[in-house]
Parts: sequence; structure tokens; C-alpha cells
Amino acid sequence: MSPEIEQFLSGMKKTIEEVVIPNLTDRFAQEQAGIVAASLGFLGLIQDKAFHYELLENQEYKRVLTDVNDLLNHTSSAPESITDITAKITEHFTRDQVGDPTHLRPYKFIRASNEVMKELLCEFIQQQPQMSTELRSAFEALMKPFFKAIEVRERSWVKALGFDPEAEQQADIADLLYKDGFLNIDKP
Amino acid sequence: MREYYTPTLKNRAQPSDAWIASIRQQFPTETTLDEVLTKKLRNRSKTAEHKTDFSDLETRLFDYLKKATGQDDIVMENLHRLSGGASKEQFTFNLTWNQASGTRSSEKLILRMDPSESIVETHRLRESQMLDAMWGEVPVPFVHWVDPLGEHLGHPFLIAGFLEGTVQPEGGDKASGLGMFFEPDLRSDLKEQFVQYLAKIHTIDWRNKPLSSYDSPRDNHLEANEWSLGWWERVWHEDAVEAHPIIENAAAWLRENMQPVEKPVIVHGDYRSGNFMYSDDHQINAVLDWELSHIGDFHEDLSYTTCQILGTPMDDGSVLTSGLLSKGEFLDKYQQYSGNIVDPKRLFYFDVFSYYKVAVISVATSSRAAYGRKTHLDAMMNLLSGFGYTGISALQRLLDKGC
Repeated sequence: MSPEIEQFLSGMKKTIEEVVIPNLTDRFAQEQAGIVAASLGFLGLIQDKAFHYELLENQEYKRVLTDVNDLLNHTSSAPESITDITAKITEHFTRDQVGDPTHLRPYKFIRASNEVMKELLCEFIQQQPQMSTELRSAFEALMKPFFKAIEVRERSWVKALGFDPEAEQQADIADLLYKDGFLNIDKP
Repeated sequence: MREYYTPTLKNRAQPSDAWIASIRQQFPTETTLDEVLTKKLRNRSKTAEHKTDFSDLETRLFDYLKKATGQDDIVMENLHRLSGGASKEQFTFNLTWNQASGTRSSEKLILRMDPSESIVETHRLRESQMLDAMWGEVPVPFVHWVDPLGEHLGHPFLIAGFLEGTVQPEGGDKASGLGMFFEPDLRSDLKEQFVQYLAKIHTIDWRNKPLSSYDSPRDNHLEANEWSLGWWERVWHEDAVEAHPIIENAAAWLRENMQPVEKPVIVHGDYRSGNFMYSDDHQINAVLDWELSHIGDFHEDLSYTTCQILGTPMDDGSVLTSGLLSKGEFLDKYQQYSGNIVDPKRLFYFDVFSYYKVAVISVATSSRAAYGRKTHLDAMMNLLSGFGYTGISALQRLLDKGC
């Protein structure tokens, strides 16, 4: 289908920058129009990657929640508040199963599933003070690389917005999302 | 009709009384902050998107000023919207009226008004009381009138004297003054004053100031820090448009590593470039934006002010605090001027806290305000998420590194 989204966005950005802004006399309006142009430029860079970003997160959250569930299934010291969360995960995985062809799902389905999984992981994190020392340490070991992957991915996603003083040191989001021409997820 | 991904997100978008009560109970904050945050939630699903049409503002403002001054012969002219800023809607105008001394005079004034929802939800009474408390101590605008309830113009506001000066140097154009660059001469002239004024703020005896809208934390007690963290935790849980494991983990870390505050001081809460103004002869003539001020630990201001993400990156790879001086120089001078001794452990705690706060404001509240179309700056609010996610990344790297 043409024009592609990128072309629409690029056309709008050019019009705002070259036609609208030079003819605005109000300083506030100029400032806001500049922000709109910058937003369009950013959308042009990321619009074709949004679906795969969510799909990658879907796989990552499924993996980490599965690992957390396994950890808790092998410990006898987990308090009831934590086992309640594992039950919610099991229930969620009946709707968006780990082995499902999620890439065939609509974007909104994936986004919703990801949000549920993020909330569940946050519930585990809130329960850390209730964990035994041994369990907490194992949980933290699982979280550390996961947190690292999140911050690297998000920082790359937003680096073109111009707020990052170390933007040049951040990977391009495409390099994080894709490997050998495919989405960078470990195959089961 | 909007669909919500989870019940939590639905609660945040359409808060019920029961949900609001649970949030208030879970995250204790100061009384007036609770008041303003609760009002925000109650209004969230009631009010339509924010109007940016101010065609009736002039009439309403004129009527208000006639009542406030008790004078029918006032003259109001040149009402203009100000650019810049990321929070309140700001307008300037000239007012001619009979002063208390009996003389008739004209003054340029600034109207600072809340949008329907803001990047930071704050209380105009607190801001006006703090400005009054600072009058004569550090350079601040003089507050003439305040309407914390929004009864007269549809939104809460304050009206203060407009001070002439420069906030951003020529060609600055930085969002909200972040990462601003000052030429070396200007830097050299401003940096000493910049540190001195913060030291002054921290040594003011706040207990003898009329700050009735601020709760008073006890010495050698956790409560000042509990209220500070409670404030931003509450805001996160009211505003976030998605859950975030790093933010959740940071909040847990902050709760577990909190220290008592030996001697609470006035904390500005947003002390940085963009929030001070200087004159042509390079004198700081106003410290601005006191809306995040509270009583707390002086390290909170030090960490926030020296937070790398708020600083100015230089060509040699260093970062200057507010574009003026290095973090080391800032802290040395601060200790010299204030007499306060900086505790590295507390400083690290508030380094984490500062990134947490930046992330709450720039990821949760800014996105929420734009999601509900509640401000005059919706496009900018979306863009600021880039600042917030960079802050979350820096927050995680800081926690990984440790003190």
C-alpha cells in the first residue's frame, strides 16, 4: 500500500518545517510546531519497528516469567503472596501461551499481553522484602541481566529524540532488534 | 470508547473513589500534596481534554483583578502567552492600579496557571507561600495574588511581578532549560552565585517562615524522606501508562535504603539551569519554579542539581552541573558556603532518587497528561518520554554500579 507511512510522515515534517513554521509569528506556536516536526522525524525512524519491538518484549517477558515460575516451583520458602502471583502467570499463559505463534497476533493483543506480564513481574519485585535471603538472591540474579536488556533497548529506542548526552554510545535499535535478518529472539 | 490493556490501567484512566482511597492510603504524602493529587484524580475522568482557546481569558482575568484590587479603574494591557517551560501556562500583561501607598503605577505581571493536568501536579498555595518566604532571602518574584482552588479563571493560578532577565542564553533553545550551554565568561560570573543561593536556601530557618501549607518533618526522623518518596511513588502509581520493572525495583531499593534526616531544610526540588534568571550584568536576579519545594534532606537538592542527565555535556566528555561547573567543584563550593558536610552515602541515595523522580515525571506523568490530552503541551509531553527513558537507563546503571 502506498504511500508508505514513512513518506506520509516525511511529507508532513517538511511542510511544517518549510511552510508552517516560517509563517508563524507567535513564539509559542513556533515552539510547539517545532516539537511536532521533531516528533514526526522520530516517528519516521521507528514506525516500522514498533510491532517487532513489542514482539521481542513479549518473548522476553514470557521467558523471564517462566524462569521466575520455575525458581519458585523449586523453593519451599515462597510466601503465599508470591505463590498467588505465580497462579496469575499460569492463568495469563493460557491466553498467550509461551509456544504460541504470537507474531500472527494483532499489535494490540501483543501490547496488552506485554502489559499484563510487566505488571506481574512488578508484583514479584514488590514482594522482594518477603522473600528469604536465598530466594531473593536467586531472584535478583535473574533480574539483573533482564533489567540491563530493558534499559539498553529503551535507551536505543528513544535516542533519536535528542535527550541522551551519550546518544552516540547507544546501539541503533535495529541492531538490537534484528540479528542475521531476523528478530533477535532465541528460538525454542 | 477507549480500551484498556489491564484493570490497573483502567483504574488510572478512570479512577473510582475506592481506588483513589487505596492509593492515598498506600502512599502517604504531605497534606496539601495529597489534596492536589487527589483533586487531579477526581477530575481525571470528569473533565474533557484541555482547552487551549483563551479568548475569554482577558475578560475573566480583568474581572478577577477588579475584585482582587477592589478597584474599578484598573487598566490591563498586552496580555501575551509566554513560550518556554514544560509545566504551567504562563502569560504576561501590564496592570495599572492604585498601590497600597496610594500611588497609581503600572507593572508588568506574570500569570502562572495550571493546565487540566500538568507534568507535575503541584499546589499554587505552596508555591506562593514559598515565594513569600524567600522574599528578601534570595531573589524571587513578588507574589501579588493566588487562587489555589481555580475559582476565578477555571484553573488554579498565581500572579507575580515579572522580572526582566535572561533564562536561556542566545540560541539556547533547550527544552525546559536542560543541558543549557553558557559561554565561559558567563559561566565564570554565574557559578559562584548559583551555589551561594542554594546554600542560602538550605540555611534558612524555615520554622520561622509562614509555610502553613507545608508539613513539618521531625529532626532525626525518616518522615521527610518517606514523604518525598511517597510523593513520587504515588505519582507513578497514579499516572504510569505502563508498568516498569526497573522503576518498581528502584522504589523498593529507595524504601529499603532510606536514612533519617538529621536536620530538615527547605529543598527547592528543581534547582538547575532554566530555573534561574540573570541580568545583563550577569547577576542572578531570580530563582524560579518553586513548585516542587518541600522540607527535606539537603542532599536531595545536591543530587538533583548535579544529576548528569540534567547537566550540559561538554566536548571533552565531561558534564557541567547546570552548564556552569563540575560536580566536584559544585559540591566543594556548596560545603564551603553552607557549612553542611556532604555524606557520600546519602548523596548516592539521592542520586538514585533523582533519576527515579525524573523518570516518574518524564515517563509516567508526561505520558499520562498527553494520553488524556490534558495540557497545552501534549506534543512536548510525548517527546519528553525520551528524557525519561534515558533517565531510567541511567538509574539502572547507577544501581548496577552501586555506591
